[in-house]
Amino acid sequence: MYQPLNMANQAPPPAAGFDGEMEMLSCPGSPSLTAGSPEENPKTTGYDGYQLDDAILSQVLEDVDRFLEKLSAAAENDGDPVEVPDSVEILSKTVESMIDQCSYRCQELDSTAFYDAIDCLSRMVDQLGEAPPSPATLGSLNRTSTVIQRALMYLEDELWSILEQPKDDGGGGGGGKPDHHHHLDNNNNNVSTNNNTNKHKHSKSTTKHSSFNSRFGHHERTENRPEIEAAAAAAGGGSEEEYSFPGFSPEAVLGMNKIANAMIRAGYEIECCIIYSFMRRNSFKTALVNIGFEIVSIDDLQKMQWNSLEKEIVSWVRIVKESSKSLFGEEWKLCRSVFSGRHGEVAGRLFGGLVRAVCMQFLNFAEATMLTKRSTEKLFKFLDMYEAVRDLGSSIGVGGATEELAAEIEATKARIGETAVGMFGELENSIKSDHGRTQVPSGSVHPLTRYTMNYLEYTCVYRETLEQIFHQHQHRRPAAKEKEEAASTKFGKQLIKVMELLDSNLEIKSRLYKDPSLRYIFLMNNGRYILQKIRASPEIHEVTGDPWRRKRSTELRGYHKSYQRETWYRLLQFLNHEGLSVNGKVSKPVVKERFKSFNAMFDDIHKTQSTWVVSDEQLQSELRVSISSVITPAYRSFIGRFSQYLKPGRQSEKYIKYQPEDIESLVDELFDGNPTSMGRKKT
Amino acid sequence: MPATEYQGSFLSRISIRRNQVVSMDGNHEQELEELEIFQKNISERFSDLISDDSSSSSNSASSSEPFLSIAWVRKLLDVFLCCEAEFKAVLIMGRDPSLISKPPLDRLIPELFDRAVKALDICNAVMHGIDSVRQCQKLAEIAAASLEQRPLGEGQARRAKKALAGLLSAMGIDETSGGHKSAERSWSFGRRGGGGGGVSVTKDRGSGQSRASTWGVPKNWSAAKQIQVMSANLVAPRGAEASGLAMPVYIMSIVTVFVMWALIAAIPCQERTGLATHFQVPRQLGWAQSMVWLHEKIGEELKKKEKKGASPVGLLEEIQKMEKLGQSLLEFSDGFQYPVPEEKLDEAAAQVADLTETCRRMEDGLVPLQHQIREVFHRIVRSRTEVLDVLDHAGKSSAPSV
Repeated sequence: MYQPLNMANQAPPPAAGFDGEMEMLSCPGSPSLTAGSPEENPKTTGYDGYQLDDAILSQVLEDVDRFLEKLSAAAENDGDPVEVPDSVEILSKTVESMIDQCSYRCQELDSTAFYDAIDCLSRMVDQLGEAPPSPATLGSLNRTSTVIQRALMYLEDELWSILEQPKDDGGGGGGGKPDHHHHLDNNNNNVSTNNNTNKHKHSKSTTKHSSFNSRFGHHERTENRPEIEAAAAAAGGGSEEEYSFPGFSPEAVLGMNKIANAMIRAGYEIECCIIYSFMRRNSFKTALVNIGFEIVSIDDLQKMQWNSLEKEIVSWVRIVKESSKSLFGEEWKLCRSVFSGRHGEVAGRLFGGLVRAVCMQFLNFAEATMLTKRSTEKLFKFLDMYEAVRDLGSSIGVGGATEELAAEIEATKARIGETAVGMFGELENSIKSDHGRTQVPSGSVHPLTRYTMNYLEYTCVYRETLEQIFHQHQHRRPAAKEKEEAASTKFGKQLIKVMELLDSNLEIKSRLYKDPSLRYIFLMNNGRYILQKIRASPEIHEVTGDPWRRKRSTELRGYHKSYQRETWYRLLQFLNHEGLSVNGKVSKPVVKERFKSFNAMFDDIHKTQSTWVVSDEQLQSELRVSISSVITPAYRSFIGRFSQYLKPGRQSEKYIKYQPEDIESLVDELFDGNPTSMGRKKT
Repeated sequence: MPATEYQGSFLSRISIRRNQVVSMDGNHEQELEELEIFQKNISERFSDLISDDSSSSSNSASSSEPFLSIAWVRKLLDVFLCCEAEFKAVLIMGRDPSLISKPPLDRLIPELFDRAVKALDICNAVMHGIDSVRQCQKLAEIAAASLEQRPLGEGQARRAKKALAGLLSAMGIDETSGGHKSAERSWSFGRRGGGGGGVSVTKDRGSGQSRASTWGVPKNWSAAKQIQVMSANLVAPRGAEASGLAMPVYIMSIVTVFVMWALIAAIPCQERTGLATHFQVPRQLGWAQSMVWLHEKIGEELKKKEKKGASPVGLLEEIQKMEKLGQSLLEFSDGFQYPVPEEKLDEAAAQVADLTETCRRMEDGLVPLQHQIREVFHRIVRSRTEVLDVLDHAGKSSAPSV
């Protein structure tokens, strides 16, 4: 029978009721456990276990503590073996009973008491192990280690259960997928950058932030919500208002924190870490799958068509951004709350491992897409990836991410950057090698100009990123002549280089036109288009700078002048007031000849040039105004002076085919691309 | 590292010689010589992988790393990296780029790239395989630390038992199913054909299977299948092609497939059924003799394991050792009754020391091995890009003349 006073030198007398309680508890396995004083033991269970109330438990703990002190004193003095008090066994039984109660009844663990008991027992095992062995201590050691082991297995189970509990039990992943992809399809039609029909959309979506991000935001907020709620409901989470990752209640986090502390203190750190990291990696992956993550082998990615791959990239970018923006942060917060205080280093290690696993997965996808065939239209998706990887790099700094991972991220980023630079090279090549010999019939804007300018306009949306890329990843030997006067930035230089290539290509194309006037119209149309694009896009404007734009304006005016000269100055020569006199007298035949020639040439010009196209309205009216201002006054004055030499009536009508007002209105018909004049010409 | 130095001199020799030769036509003999050196190097490198105690014909300077140990696999990867660098030198350094855009290389190079891409997936799968081995290592560490304690009580034995049961079940060895309620939550890979890269969990209560989803490669991906596809169109060049660039391309393909095959054999990897029969090293080629020998040895081991029924975890020496010690110590822990007779305790102590040593070797070797596999990954990617750049350049320079 247990007697507290067995222990010699027990200083404080047991509290009232302690005796009785102890007496009763000290009958292990006794069926009459509760028979003695049931009214004093309201907490006693029906099992062969029991629970102590807090006051009594603390007495027992103190009792054991005193024993431990004696033990260590004995160890130092090499004294006699110390007898193990019964309180140790009571503590063991208490712990076992607590475990039983929780396991069978699934009731909440009275955790503080439980943890105190385990701590106490662990300390005892440690000290007993060092004490001089005696049969009694060894037996007790064996018994206690078994109890501790049971208690910690119980804690493992608890930790496992809590970690398993979050709402997303994987059920939502499969169901949500088709929907998700369907939505991506829709996204893609808008975002697509690669075919001609969509080109106009670029110019409309001037900033990618208005187009991409809002769409993504929309996607997350409206489309994903039902899936998530469904998943939450499926997992028994009820109607959660706010889906949150990782989805643990504060109590659950606190519970895990206590378990982790206890496990680490008891030397079960590895078990604790295995369970935690295993479960969290799974949950994290489930979270990724729920937002559309899918592992595709590198091999399969190579076989994908660009439009499928593009969808994969869009989805990947979104997932990586979501991870950088919130998932990693939340995960770290959780990890840090579970492994708090002194265990921060454990938290760092666990989080670092998870981040590495996830990031390597992300990076592999990026690497795999870099292996696919390069082409210019992929640039924008690759830039999205670049930005995502760059932000990923800065987001993993929170926890214990290793330098190794940072280096991997950096390497992948560099590879995407180099690929992007290469794509610009490809654009340059495609401009250089565009040797098509078919001319745009009416001298209007060439498709290459439209393509290139829209492309450049869109690249400017990524201006800052491209600036970084050209700074960091362009391994070019220093150019022979750096154009200092032009743009000051590398990307700006690149942009100007592309436009200059375009200029020289257009110059070559313009020579395809036999009619020099049409050639100038062509150059004007294209030059004007380019200039308008530059004016309309503050980004290009900013990157290329004012002087460059002024230079282009000057060039355009030059074309305009040359055109005037080619077409209208030649017509003007018929309206010259000189050379009409023979021997000081105005010669009628010469006048007649002049009118005839003028009419013929004007008709001809009108016929031809009204089929030409100047699509830019301002340029069109500028041209007409300037033509009118050259021709009409000269014609008016010519008529004013020389019509008197023609006989009024038939002769006058014959030679003066047009009144000055007619000229004006005919000039206004030019550059309309009017095919009827063409028809008239043919008949 | 001597191999690297040697490689360096090989590379410089090639570049110097190529620079001296102005004409591209008159150097067929030199090409043959290069090819010969390349083959000789390959042959020597692989014979270095055969250890002293085996039937190696090589000199005394050969390997001391135990066959299929982590250190040996690392050496194998070193050999791969060296061969790869030399191959690239033979293929592109200083060479007229248009050569590789003409038949038969215009067909062989894309085939080589296709193999390279599959090798990348294998690298990823193996990386994850190593992650699972590290999990096993942790469990073994628990068991070893637990059984090291003196006096050894039932609590320690039970703790070790649980860890070892988990370890063996993670390795796919199912002898633990009887009577081990404690192992109900255990870690396993290589089961149900899908657990490969990650660790999967079997758990009875609650929502049922909360099996880990795989990382690294898709669920239906099969390592054995990759090897099969990689070796399917491997045909030795004949006739005139045999003395041209087709030969090094062929050799490099064989080296790649062999190294990937050996990696999959050594390290746990998703779906490896039939691996033993999926790839053969051509026997008639002089430079491949060591490889043939290694292939046979590994193949035998694979077949031995496959015969035993359970799908093999990986032939890595350390894994095998861990499995054996794990089983033996599990028996010990299972039958543990306090107090344990001294001699039994001593016997267990020796095994525990072995297990501790194995864990230490894993601790020291697995992370560098992972880094090396990653290096192989990056190298393959980079080389592919370099060759493509050369091709690209060839395409451009020939464009105007077309």
